[in-house]
Amino acid sequence: MRSLSSVEEFCDFRGRVISETNFEPEQPTLVVSSGTCGQASGSNDIIRIIKKYIIERSMGEKIKLRITGCQGFCEMNPFILVEPGYQLYPKLRMEDVPRVIEAAVGGFIDEGLIYQNKKIQKSYHCQNDIPFFNKQTRTILGNNQKIDPIRILNYIEQDGYATLEKVLLKNDPNWIIKEVIKSGLRGRGGAGFPTGKKWELARASQNGNGQKYIVCNCDEGDPGAYMDRGLLEGNPHAIIEGMIIAAIAIGATKGFIYVRSEYPLAIKHTLIAIRQAKDLGILGKNILGTGIAFDIEIIKGAGAFVCGEETALIKSIEGFMGEPRQRPPYPIEKGINGKPTCINNVETLANVPVIIKQGAAKYAEVGIPGNTGTKIFSLVGKIKNTGLVEVPLGTKISEVVYHIGGGSSSKTKIKAIQTGGPSGGCIPASMFDTSIDYDSLAKVGSIMGSGGMIVMDENTCMVDVAKYFMNFLKDESCGKCFTCRKGTQRMYELLDDISKGKGTLEHLDLLEELAHVVKDTTMCGLGQSASNPVLSTLRYFRHEYERHIIQKKCDAFVCNELVGAPCQSACPVGTEAWRYVAHIARGEYESAYTVIREANPFPSVCARVCDHQCEQRCRAGTSGGDPIAIRALKRFITDRIDPSTYIPEREATINKDSPSVAVVGAGPSGLTTAHFLSLKGYKVTVFEAENEPGGMLYCAIPSYRLPRDTIKKEIASLLNENITLKCNTALGRDFDIDQLFKDGFSAVMLAIGAHKSRPLGLPNEDAEGVYPSIEFLKAFNLYDKQLAKGRVGIIGGGNSAIDAARTALRQKDVDSVTIIYRRTREEMPAFTEEIEAADQEGIEIKTLISPTRIITTNGVFSGLECIKNELGDTDSSGRRKPVPLERTEHILKLDTLIVAISEDSGVDSIGPARSSKIEITDWNTIKVDENTLLTSRQGVFAAGDVVTGPNTVIDAIAAGKKAAMMIDHYIKGEKLDQPAELKLPQIYIEPVNSESDKTLSPVRVETPRASVEWRKRNFAEVEVSLSIEEATIEAKRCLRCDLEFIQPDEIKETQAVAGGK
Amino acid sequence: MISFTLNGLDASVEEGTTILEAAKFYGFPIPTLCFMEGLSPYGACRLCVVEIGEEPNSKLVTSCTHPVEEGIRIRTASERVLRARRMILELLLASCPQSKVIQDLASAHNIRKQRFKQEYEDCILCGLCVRMCAEQMMGKAIGFQGRGENRTIGTPFNIKSDDCRLCGGCIYVCPACQLRCTYVDPEKAICGGCANLSPPCIEKEQFNDMMCYMEPCVACEIKDDKK
Repeated sequence: MRSLSSVEEFCDFRGRVISETNFEPEQPTLVVSSGTCGQASGSNDIIRIIKKYIIERSMGEKIKLRITGCQGFCEMNPFILVEPGYQLYPKLRMEDVPRVIEAAVGGFIDEGLIYQNKKIQKSYHCQNDIPFFNKQTRTILGNNQKIDPIRILNYIEQDGYATLEKVLLKNDPNWIIKEVIKSGLRGRGGAGFPTGKKWELARASQNGNGQKYIVCNCDEGDPGAYMDRGLLEGNPHAIIEGMIIAAIAIGATKGFIYVRSEYPLAIKHTLIAIRQAKDLGILGKNILGTGIAFDIEIIKGAGAFVCGEETALIKSIEGFMGEPRQRPPYPIEKGINGKPTCINNVETLANVPVIIKQGAAKYAEVGIPGNTGTKIFSLVGKIKNTGLVEVPLGTKISEVVYHIGGGSSSKTKIKAIQTGGPSGGCIPASMFDTSIDYDSLAKVGSIMGSGGMIVMDENTCMVDVAKYFMNFLKDESCGKCFTCRKGTQRMYELLDDISKGKGTLEHLDLLEELAHVVKDTTMCGLGQSASNPVLSTLRYFRHEYERHIIQKKCDAFVCNELVGAPCQSACPVGTEAWRYVAHIARGEYESAYTVIREANPFPSVCARVCDHQCEQRCRAGTSGGDPIAIRALKRFITDRIDPSTYIPEREATINKDSPSVAVVGAGPSGLTTAHFLSLKGYKVTVFEAENEPGGMLYCAIPSYRLPRDTIKKEIASLLNENITLKCNTALGRDFDIDQLFKDGFSAVMLAIGAHKSRPLGLPNEDAEGVYPSIEFLKAFNLYDKQLAKGRVGIIGGGNSAIDAARTALRQKDVDSVTIIYRRTREEMPAFTEEIEAADQEGIEIKTLISPTRIITTNGVFSGLECIKNELGDTDSSGRRKPVPLERTEHILKLDTLIVAISEDSGVDSIGPARSSKIEITDWNTIKVDENTLLTSRQGVFAAGDVVTGPNTVIDAIAAGKKAAMMIDHYIKGEKLDQPAELKLPQIYIEPVNSESDKTLSPVRVETPRASVEWRKRNFAEVEVSLSIEEATIEAKRCLRCDLEFIQPDEIKETQAVAGGK
Repeated sequence: MISFTLNGLDASVEEGTTILEAAKFYGFPIPTLCFMEGLSPYGACRLCVVEIGEEPNSKLVTSCTHPVEEGIRIRTASERVLRARRMILELLLASCPQSKVIQDLASAHNIRKQRFKQEYEDCILCGLCVRMCAEQMMGKAIGFQGRGENRTIGTPFNIKSDDCRLCGGCIYVCPACQLRCTYVDPEKAICGGCANLSPPCIEKEQFNDMMCYMEPCVACEIKDDKK
C-alpha cells in the first residue's frame, strides 16, 4: 500500500474506498464471529467449511464471507449472521453449515436453524428482534460485526478514520478537549474520572520538556471480564484512531498499548493494525504530511493484576516490578520516566472517535446527566445469554439481567449480581432496579469497575464468593503496602474460618473492622476496593454469614466442610442417605432400615411422598448427571422390612412420677414429637380432632400415592404404652390450653396443621359445586364422599392442585379434569413427577390463564370466566409476573370447581389459640421463636404447618423432632437454645469393589409405575417398588461423598502412628 | 511558604515539605516504621497515616509521602486515624510479635490483645533495608521478590551477591529486630530476639566481643550492675 502524504490525499483515498463498496450490488454475506470466544467454540472449523463449500461450488461471485472479532453474543457461538437480512443461526454444528449457505444464497430462512426461543416457540428472523439485542445500544460494540479486524480498508469503508481526518483538518487540540469535556465522557476503566479534564491537565502539564505519553490500558485482569479484549480484538483501528486523537489533544508523541499477554489474538490484531496504519501514513513521524509525529508501541503485561493500576502500569512499562507508588504526584504530572503520561482505558479511547464524529451534544443525549454515553459489560455467570452487552448508562440492572441476559440459566432464581470485578461488590436481586451508573453503583456499595457483571443464583454461597475474591486479591496484591498485603490475607483467613464452620460472631465484627481500615489506609485502587466484596456481602447477606456461624449451614451447599455429604445435610431430619445407599449396595437391608428409621419415624410414608431434597442436592445430579434415586431406594428398603422389627432405644424408663406432655394434633409433626418424647421418658397424650390419626397424611394425600395401610402400620409402630391417643377431640371444642395445664401437663405442643384452603376472593365462591381443595380431599379421604362430577376445573399449580385433580379423575361421576394455572408449566410449584403423572392420566393443564368470575345458575356453579395472561416483568423473587391480556376473557364450561391456591391454618383452632394468649402472625400462623419453637406463652410449643403454613411432610417431621428436644430441655430446666453442631459423615462403610463390575450404570433408574389405563380408574398405588437388581445397580451409582470425610480405622491408625513419629 | 491547618493550629512550612516533616517541626508525633531520615519515603507501613480534607470527603494519606498543600486541614490523631493505626498495629503484632519496636508501638497505642491467628514472621517488608542498601550504601545488593503473600526480600536468584559488602546496614535499620539480633546464623545468636527476657549474653562470655547493635540494652545494663 502506498503511504499517503497529505490529508487531502487521504480524503480522496477514503472517498474512493467508500464509493467502491457502495457500488457493488448487494450480495449476501456470511458473518462469522471469530474472537477468542468464537474460536474456542469452534468458529475456525465453521470458517474452514464455509470456504471449502464456496470454493468447491465456485460460489465466490454469489456470496461473501466476513470473519470478525467477538460480536458479543458469546453464548450462541459458533454462529453465522447472514447479511443483509441479519438472520442469526446460533450454535451451529459443522454439518449445519451448508444449509446456512444455501439459505443465504437462496434468499430464504432455514427455520430449523434460525435463532428461536423454544419456551415460547418463537423464532426471530432478524438479529435486532432478539431480546438480547433489541434493548442494547451498540454504538461501540456494534462495529465489531461490520469489520474484519485485520483489514484496514474494511474499517475505512465503515467511515473509519473519518474523525481523524476531521481532527487533522481542524488542527485545534483545544477544540478536541472542549468537545470531550462537553460530551461528559468518563473513564471507562472504572473510577470514572472525566476524560476531557484529564486531557486538559495533561496538555497543561509542562514537566516533560515537550515529551508526553499516552497509554491505552488493556490490562484487563478481572475474572469474568473481557470487554476490552473484545474491542481490541474486534476493532483495533478504532482504538488506534482514538489514541491518535488523544495524542493530538494532549501533545503526546508516543503511545503505548499495554495489553495482557493472555490476549494473544488481541495482540496479533493490534500489531497488524498498527503496521497497516503505519503503511498508510496514519501513524509515524509525519502523520499524513501534517508534521504531527505519533507512534504506538505494544507492551505485553506479564500477568500481574495490579499492573492495571496506573502507577504500577507505569513501573511495568519502565521495566520495573509492577507495583504502585503513592500518589500524588499523578501520572499526568510525573509518569513514564518522569514525563507527563495520560492513561486511558480501551473503551474510553474507543468512544473518542464517536464523540468527535457525532459532536459532543449528540453524544451526551445518550445516558443520564453526569453519566453520558454507553458502557459495555461482560455479562457472565448463571445467566442464559452470556456475552458482551452495551447499554446506555443509567439502564436498570434488572433490564440487563432479565431482558438482555434472559434470566437465570439454572432452575433456581437469581440472588445477586457482582459488578466491577474482584474489588467490586455484590448487589442483591431486591435492588435490581438500581440504575447502572458510576454514582448509583458506588451508593449501593459496589463499583462500575471495568464492567464485569457476574450473575449469581441461589446455588452461590456469598461467603464463598467473598472468600474466592479475597483469595484472588491476596495473591494479586503487590505486597508493597502493609495493610493491603496483610489485610487481604487476614480477611481471607477469617472468611476461610467462617466457611469451615470455625467462625464466631467476633469473627464478623473483626472482619468488618478490618475491611474498613483496609479500605481507608491502602496505597492504590486495588487495596482501597479490596474490601468491597466483604463489605457488600456483609451489608446485604449478613444473614448468610450468620447461618454459617450460628447454624453451621451453607444453604447454597458450597462450603464443603459445612455440607459434608449433601444428601445428609439437605435432609431436614438429617437422614444419612449415603449410609443406607451404601448398605443397599452391599445387600445389607436391615442395617439400611435402621439408618433410615433412626432419623425418621415415618420411613414408609416419606419413601412415597417426600419431596426428596436429598436428590436435588445429590452431587451425582449437580455435577451434570442424574441424581441417585434415593427416595425409590428408601421405598425399596421400607417395602422389605416391617416397621415393627425396629425397636427404638429408650433413653429413660417411665414411672408414675414421669412428667406428662400434651400434643395437640396427630399429624406427622405431632406424632413425631410424641414418639421421641415417649422414648425420653415422658407420658404423652395426643389429641386429634378427626376420627383417624395421621393429619394431612390421611386427609390430604390421596391413597394412590400413599396407601392407607402404610399410614396405619407406620403410626401403629410409633405408638407405645406411654402414648395415649384421643381421637375426635378438638382444641377449642372439647378442651382448651388452660385446662391442659390444670390437668397437670408440664408442656403443650400445638401441631394442628393448616386445614383451610385460602379463598380466591371472587364472588359466588360459596356456591354449590365450588370446593376448597382441602375440604374436597378430606370429604373423600375421611368420609368417602365423592364431591366432583362432570367437568372438573382445578385452580392452582401446587401439589395439592395435582392431588385434587388426580383424585377427582378417579371419582365415578367425573368426565374430564382441567387444571388452570396463571403462569407457565415451568413455574408450577408441584413436583415434576406429579405433573408428568397427571399428564399421563389425561388431565388437561391450561396455563397462562386466571379466573375472573364464578358463574352460577340458580345458585349452582356452572362455569368459570377466565382471562389470558402473558408473562411480564420479573419481580424481585425472580419469577415473571402474569399480566392479564385485555379482552381475552372467555368462559370455561365446568360443573365442579376446586380451589387449590394455598392453605391457611384452621381458623377453628387459631381462635382458641388467640384466646389462650398465643400470638398469631398476619398469615394466620402461630408465632414461635425460630430457634426454640416456643410460642408467646410459656410452656406451649408449636411446630409443623401451623407455624410454617403449608409445607412438606419431611419438614413437619423435622419440626416435630426438634420440638421434642426443646420440650425435653424445657421440662428439665435446661437452656433451650443450644449451639448447632456440624453433622458430617462419621461411620465408615466399605464401598463395594465395582472395578470389574459390568452392571454399573450411568443412568438413573426409572421409578416403576402402574400402567396408566389400569390406574386411572382406581385408587391403588401408582408407584411400584424397585427390584433387588435395579436397587443394587442404582445404589452402586452413588458417588460416596462421605468418603471425603471418613476413612477406615486402619488408615486412621496408620496416620496416627505416622503423626506420632 | 505554604500555610495550612495542623490539628486546628495555623501553621506554615516551605514548599515541598511533607506532612510528616511539618508535624515533626510543630511537635506532633506521628509513629512510623518504614520511614527513616536520609532514605526516600516509601509509604509501605501505612502507620503514619493522617486525615486531610473536610468531612465527609476527608481521606487518610501517608504523611511521609504527602506534601503539604496550600490551605489543607491536617489531623494527625483524629478518631479515624487512631482507629486505623490501632488496627495496623494489631496486624503487625499478629505477624511479628517478637519485634521490640512493634511491641513498644502497640503498647503506646494501648493495644492489649490481638485477635488474629498468631504468626511469627521475621520481616514486615518495610523496605528500609532495600533502600538503605541502595541509597546510602550504594550497594543495590538486595531487593523485593514475588508479590502478595509471596513477597520477600533477597538477593537476585537468592545467591550471595557480589554487590554485598557485608556492611550490616540492612540489619541495623531493620525494625523487626530478628535479623539484627540473630544475624544470619541463629546458632550464634546474641540474644535470640527481643522477646527473650533473659538475653544469653548475660551468661555467655563469648558474646562479649560480638558486635551488638542494641543501645541501650537491658542485658548490658544488668551486666554493668553486676560488675
